[in-house]
Amino acid sequence: MTDRAVAPPIIEIANLTKRYGRQTALADLSLGVPFGAIGLLGANGAGKTTLIRVLLGLTKPTSGSARVLGIDTQAQPIEVRRRVGFMPESDCLPRDATAAEFVGHLAEVSGLPTRTARQRAADVLYQVGLDEERYRLIKGFSTGMKQRVKLAQALVHDPSLVFLDEPTNGLDPRGREDMLELVNRIHRTLGIAVVLSSHILEDIERVCTQVIIIDEGRLLLSQALRTHDDSRGDVMFRVEGDPGPIADRLRGRGLTVKVGLGEAGQDIVVSPESDETFDAIRDGVAELGLPLRMLRTRSSSLEDLYIGQLSNGSGAVVSGGTEQNHAER
Amino acid sequence: MPSGELPGSPVAPGVSAGPARYGEVFDRGYQRYGGARLGRGHGVWAIARYSMKRAMGFKKGWSSKVIPFFVYIAAALTAVIPIGIEAFIGQESIPYEGFFGLLYVLQGIFVATITPEFMCSDRRENVLSLYFSRAITRLDYLVGKLVGAALLTLTVTLAPALLLWLGRQLLADAPLDALWSNLADLGRLAFVGTMLALYLSAGGLMIASFTGRKSIAVAVIIVGIVVLESLIALLLFALEGDASRIANFFSPTTVTSGLVSGVFEPDRPPPPSDQPDFAFAWWGYASAMAVTITLCLAIMYRRYVPAD
Repeated sequence: MTDRAVAPPIIEIANLTKRYGRQTALADLSLGVPFGAIGLLGANGAGKTTLIRVLLGLTKPTSGSARVLGIDTQAQPIEVRRRVGFMPESDCLPRDATAAEFVGHLAEVSGLPTRTARQRAADVLYQVGLDEERYRLIKGFSTGMKQRVKLAQALVHDPSLVFLDEPTNGLDPRGREDMLELVNRIHRTLGIAVVLSSHILEDIERVCTQVIIIDEGRLLLSQALRTHDDSRGDVMFRVEGDPGPIADRLRGRGLTVKVGLGEAGQDIVVSPESDETFDAIRDGVAELGLPLRMLRTRSSSLEDLYIGQLSNGSGAVVSGGTEQNHAER
Repeated sequence: MPSGELPGSPVAPGVSAGPARYGEVFDRGYQRYGGARLGRGHGVWAIARYSMKRAMGFKKGWSSKVIPFFVYIAAALTAVIPIGIEAFIGQESIPYEGFFGLLYVLQGIFVATITPEFMCSDRRENVLSLYFSRAITRLDYLVGKLVGAALLTLTVTLAPALLLWLGRQLLADAPLDALWSNLADLGRLAFVGTMLALYLSAGGLMIASFTGRKSIAVAVIIVGIVVLESLIALLLFALEGDASRIANFFSPTTVTSGLVSGVFEPDRPPPPSDQPDFAFAWWGYASAMAVTITLCLAIMYRRYVPAD
């Protein structure tokens, strides 16, 4: 991993702009991404899929340039795709083919000899948790199994980098856990760089070492994610009625208070998290006679990072479970 | 391993904790691939092979196989019956150009059946996104489809004719001499069969590329040929001179029969002077076919170019 830390970026983008008519999908993006698990975060329509398409050499940018694994995506798109895997967001599997047959076929299309392709398909399907099922027709698969087949086809030609577009879409909680575990293994155990595109904060927080946040085609942030592990947590609570008086009271006790968070704009976040903070909230709501509707700790997280960066406060990004519920009535 | 259960953490490739015991189960682990990576040609051939299997209904229900099966039976009978007749009467029962005329309807049905299988499912099931994210171009994909469809169509344009040719040589008094002396016919059959296969499959694929529904594609191919032929007939009636002659190039029936006649009967007499002579040399029809194939590929390519 030390070698990789000093290795050249796996993705380099310079002044990348992509317009569809008058619509700007990507606006002057510039960034460099090191080897790792990269989270590509943004609301639906933020430009994530367009960025992936440009990086795969499937779409030509209006201006600017992009290099993947050191290869120019415009000049050598085939070479890029030879070394990169892609798992699309949409349902894209043939219904009346077996998983082994179809994944093996795509391995062949990627240039693997026929017999090797068949063997690789079996191995990769086993790695994603489909062993005996690989000889069944895909039309009989659950959503989770289909997602695994899509992941297998992205890995079967042994790419150095794999793009996963919303890999947990449509999965139940168990399936989502399994998928995130698989993505973790791809990066940590198999040594394949991952770009995970998602609008779900927790997915990215769970898996990624670096995050790129884009909104309306603009780059909001690109930075290592784990630096936030060291930051201290907050306490979040909600009262019925006007949050102003309790916020003022807590500020009077020297605490940092933010009001107006959450879906209803009624959540109050108090820093730092400590026993004194909990005591102050308890005393405050008791003295003001305010019904306490929710109280929980909230680690300083990707959510803070996202909300801090997103000036227009889009509600389309789903916050994950970085919060630990203490009380919710 | 039960469904949904993840395999354990893979061990490093080639690493073993100790000597293997009989019956010991190993996690195969994920192995990086360091072997050969073949070029785009291999990918094209993989697409052709896979599409051929699917179009012929391999690993599908009987309904996917029934039409190709009956077409093959009919095509084989079309070749076997003349051979049987010739065995009795001792002379040629049907010329090659007439034989291709008999096969034409079967070829049309076959192409209308298989080409939608080649194109429609990939579009309807959104599989194109997986193909185009691999190390091939969109043209490679289309060439793979054309090669696969043409190879399959060869089984109804060339294979029955080869059967007829071989039967005729074996019926001769000196079969080996006959084989040798009629090699030119074999070359003509191969040329005509290949041109017909490419021409018909390119047209079928082009039409099928416009829809994700196989039934619609089949209907449009069959009805489209009938409508096109009717329009050409009207044009021939309305136009005069060179314009009328050139209109023939838009008629699949005229182009295919013109090529077959031109190749097997190059010295045919011109029609009576009071009738128009629509005939061109074989290379005229072959050129028309080549232009049509290229045009179909260009239209399909346009269909598959990204929308930006």
